[in-house]
Amino acid sequence: MQNRPPADQRSAAEQRTVSDQRPPADQKAAFRAFFGYIRPHRLSFLLVFCCTVLAIAADLAQPYLVKVAIDDNILKGRDDYGTLLVICAIYLGLALAGFLFTYLQNNLLQYLGQNIIGRIRKDLFAHIGKQSMSFFDRMPAGSLITNVSSDTETLNQFFSQVLLSLVRDGLTLIFIIAIMFQLDVTLTLYCLILLPVIALIAIGFRTYMRKTYQISRAALSRLIAFAAENLAGMNLIQAFHQEREQQNRFTDNNRTYLRANLREIRTNVLFNRSFDILGSLSIALVTWLGGVAVFNSAIEFGVLYAFITYIRQFFQPISTITSQWNTLQSTTVSVGRIWSLFAVKPEIEDAAETRMLEREKVAGRIDFNHVRFGYQAGVPVLHDLDLHIAPGEMIGIVGTTGAGKSSLISLLCRFYDVWEGDIRIDGTDIRTLPQSSLHRLVGLVQQEPYLYSGSIVDNIRMFDEEITREEVIRACKFVGADDLIGRLKDGYHTMLSERGSGLSAGERQMISFARIIVFKPKILILDEATANLDSYTEHLIQRALRVVSRERTTLVIAHRLSTVMRANRIIVMSGGRIVESGSHAELLEQHGYYEELYLHSQGREERETG
Amino acid sequence: MLRDYIKSKWHVYGFAILLIAAGNAIQSYYPRLLGSFTDRLQQGKLSHDAIVDYSLALLAVGVAFGVLAGAGQYVVMRLGRLYEFDMRKKLFAHFTTLSERFYSKNGVGKLLSYVMNDVTAVRESISMGINQTTNATILILSAMVMMTLSDIPLRLVLVCVLPLLLIPWIVTRFGPVIRKRSLNVQDSLGKMTESAEEQFGGIRVTKKFAAEATMNRRFGETVDRIRDNQLRLVRVSSLFQAIIPFLGALSMIVTIAYGGYLTIRHTISLGNFVELTLYIRMMVAPLQQIGNVINTMQRSRASLERIGDLMAVEPDIRESKSARHRSLEEASVSIRGLSFAYPDAERPSLRDISLDIAPGRTLGILGKTGSGKTTLVKLLLRAYDPPAGTIRIAGADIRDFTLESLRAQIAYVPQEGFLFSTTIRDNIAFYKRDTELPTVEKAARQAQIYGSIAELPESFDTRLGERGVTLSGGQRQRTGLARGLIKDAPILIMDDSVSAVDAVTEKRIIDGIRKARKGKATIIIAHRISALKHADEIVVMDEGRIVQRGTHKELLAQAGLYATLHAIQEEGGREDAEPTAR
Repeated sequence: MQNRPPADQRSAAEQRTVSDQRPPADQKAAFRAFFGYIRPHRLSFLLVFCCTVLAIAADLAQPYLVKVAIDDNILKGRDDYGTLLVICAIYLGLALAGFLFTYLQNNLLQYLGQNIIGRIRKDLFAHIGKQSMSFFDRMPAGSLITNVSSDTETLNQFFSQVLLSLVRDGLTLIFIIAIMFQLDVTLTLYCLILLPVIALIAIGFRTYMRKTYQISRAALSRLIAFAAENLAGMNLIQAFHQEREQQNRFTDNNRTYLRANLREIRTNVLFNRSFDILGSLSIALVTWLGGVAVFNSAIEFGVLYAFITYIRQFFQPISTITSQWNTLQSTTVSVGRIWSLFAVKPEIEDAAETRMLEREKVAGRIDFNHVRFGYQAGVPVLHDLDLHIAPGEMIGIVGTTGAGKSSLISLLCRFYDVWEGDIRIDGTDIRTLPQSSLHRLVGLVQQEPYLYSGSIVDNIRMFDEEITREEVIRACKFVGADDLIGRLKDGYHTMLSERGSGLSAGERQMISFARIIVFKPKILILDEATANLDSYTEHLIQRALRVVSRERTTLVIAHRLSTVMRANRIIVMSGGRIVESGSHAELLEQHGYYEELYLHSQGREERETG
Repeated sequence: MLRDYIKSKWHVYGFAILLIAAGNAIQSYYPRLLGSFTDRLQQGKLSHDAIVDYSLALLAVGVAFGVLAGAGQYVVMRLGRLYEFDMRKKLFAHFTTLSERFYSKNGVGKLLSYVMNDVTAVRESISMGINQTTNATILILSAMVMMTLSDIPLRLVLVCVLPLLLIPWIVTRFGPVIRKRSLNVQDSLGKMTESAEEQFGGIRVTKKFAAEATMNRRFGETVDRIRDNQLRLVRVSSLFQAIIPFLGALSMIVTIAYGGYLTIRHTISLGNFVELTLYIRMMVAPLQQIGNVINTMQRSRASLERIGDLMAVEPDIRESKSARHRSLEEASVSIRGLSFAYPDAERPSLRDISLDIAPGRTLGILGKTGSGKTTLVKLLLRAYDPPAGTIRIAGADIRDFTLESLRAQIAYVPQEGFLFSTTIRDNIAFYKRDTELPTVEKAARQAQIYGSIAELPESFDTRLGERGVTLSGGQRQRTGLARGLIKDAPILIMDDSVSAVDAVTEKRIIDGIRKARKGKATIIIAHRISALKHADEIVVMDEGRIVQRGTHKELLAQAGLYATLHAIQEEGGREDAEPTAR
């Protein structure tokens, strides 16, 4: 197991070393899988290819037509205007065909690419959703988001740019060379000498340009980050009278970006211009060699004209293809990253044979039988934990950070699997239950309620349309959130944005309580659900909590002893073991750790005043 | 603003335009050369040497154009970047003068878009505008001149060019549509990223409610929206891409039909014909550029206006002419009859507040969220302007102090531990970045954060933020506290600065501060009684008024908000030891 403890338990030093940990990508297998997505569309791709060929052919035949017009009509001086008009008609036909096929090819290719990318995105998202919590502990959310959005977007570029350019520009080059050979072999051979030179210069420049581009991108993102942070903290800057100092720092960043930019511009201009000059060089070469050939009557003038036109068309595709090289490289990286993610198997999967527990019939008895568990091999966090909870009982859990409280509830939610022992609900091992039914059975309210962008109703019913609005309102009345929601601008239809910003911490927590009522779990876990609230709101929440915990087996982890005091039984944990257990009064009589905790807060007052 | 910039650099711009113009004028010789080459070749008047001369001349034209236009282009682009640099610098400096009132109305995202998008749009329009307009006009002009100078009849030229004249019109028609649709694509991509962010952030909740299927559907909708927008974009953009070469082809057809006819009739020479076809090809690109320039200009005009409006915003907190630097040492603050309402607010946030804070004394302010505690602090720091004469320090109106003397001598510790992405040392020594390390360490000890910092791999030189270490909420708050304490200022204001700290640490911090601030004025704001009960005077605020005042003991003896809050907070006591234990 490569598990790491959840983020909140990690020391800062450890956090720094955590990076993506995923199996190294097998490039070949990754590309094979990628092409698995493409294969069903192979006929459509063939169609795109045909369109491209036709479009290019129509395009390239145009200079050839002019050559025909010059050599066979104009130069002959015959008064044959009819043929010239025929040529014009053909020209028009070609132009229309080029227009039509270019349009078709672009649309079709984009359609294919978008469908494939869409499929990959959805599959990837679903795949990530299936992973167990240990996966999310070690994969930073930022990197997953990058995989789903930017890496897939790179694949999209592969379709809309790389593939298109390889086919279109590659074919154009081949066609041009073929036509040139057909026109005159010797002259073509001379021209081809230039080809490797052009390619070499192009590739060399592109590599360098990529580097300068990356430098300026990095400088830009630093500049943006700096500006964003300083705008957000402007009140502090002003309160500390640091305007000038921060301006200087901004200017430093600004100047770095400017320098990187100028370098990028220089490279770009240099590249484009040397390519231009190379173009002129080859035209001069063709004029010289071709001119001499025409002079010696070895070729007709029309051929020379066509050559000059084609050689000018030669450079665009080469330049475009080489510019795709960089995208191709990033595609390779992205494909590797995406498929290394696909290769991760969920650590927690439903057993082959699952047992169903009827939610209505579950009493809510929980047994932790001699549980051993840890996040890292060899470092157990829970040692032989044995805890039995009767249906409907309310258990309070107290202990210091790292005592194992959070691990205990994570195991009950089956975010992780135990090492030894087992956890049973009504006598059934939770590993034999389907995860979805376990999760509906056990409800969890966390310290930081998580709200989604969407209406309040949808947030309470978790976007499940089968739950009616009336049910939602009843639940809100039940926990006492109805008044509060009624005061909002659009009541239950108020749209929440950015995780419920605009609502206070207490209001958010009330909504998450209503959510629990709607989903009617038989077992309820409150993980520091009332921390971070001011005294008044806590009062409200406490009342809601009493309502919610009625007729449910409830586990309460709390920061403030006042929350736990009313529990039927209080468990005191330390170092992964249960060290004390009993009611508030019983525990105080034991004169142990609990009493110490209690006196610490309560007694402080007396010590000082009395 | 933009005009000023261009005016100040006009000679550089003039030089660049000259370079580009010269390049293009030379470039327009190219079809002329090929045309005359054709004629002489056809007439058999060409010697072997002359052929070499022609090709060398062609090469010379190419090289000259490349070098001249390249140099001009670089100069123009460089000037654009310099403008960008200048503008960003000015904008940022302007931002630092604007008060909280401005920031409460304008989000960071919006302001950032001025610095990034608008400035970039303007820069692009100058660089591209100058480059391409010069390019295009000179090239088109010289091509026209060349064509008329040669023996090609003007009538023929005009007829052939006719279809091309549609190009700028088409570009201006398509440009905005394409832009709008590609913005939609960007937008939907952003929506998808947001959705992924939200879902991964709430993965525990999703799993707990077994709502994976619903969430997949929600995410899938954002993915489908991208596809639809992309396809809408490609429909116009590919039409646009195909239509331009098509118009070029139309021109060629006219040229072949009409020009070919005239060549057969010997009205023009074959050389003229070749020349004409080359000029036609040459003019497609510049006409397209003119359309582009029109589009960019339109876009950047809006940006320029936005920037202009922003720069015109006057800072509403300004030093008065009579403002002087005054020392706050041994000065007491007196507030008399202070009422204050935020601009645009319906109700006043402070009503008739009178308070005295003498050196060596500690004032505690207690109240619920929204009772006006923080507003009072903002007025003391002049983040907003209090009514004249209501706040006096050492007898002088707070408005007669320079902002610097006020802000350098009042240490302010906000509730949220906002830290900058730099080293911890720079964060603590924020008021004076070159402070000696021992002083920084001392402040960190006072704020009870020294131990946590010392444990970090690079101790005080550890970088915070994006690619650095992240601190917990409590650690951030204590670092922010150290940033205030290090100033050792005559007046210290702690705005709920120990709310995320456990009770034991809180007590240590408060004890330390009491010791360190002997002889200086301290204001402690809190909603937890434990943080301020030792104060010499405690005022309880509710809805902008002072409802109770006295010492801890006096207030406990009264029935009222203080006693109620005390009862709630101390009911059953709190768990203390937790966060510090390791």
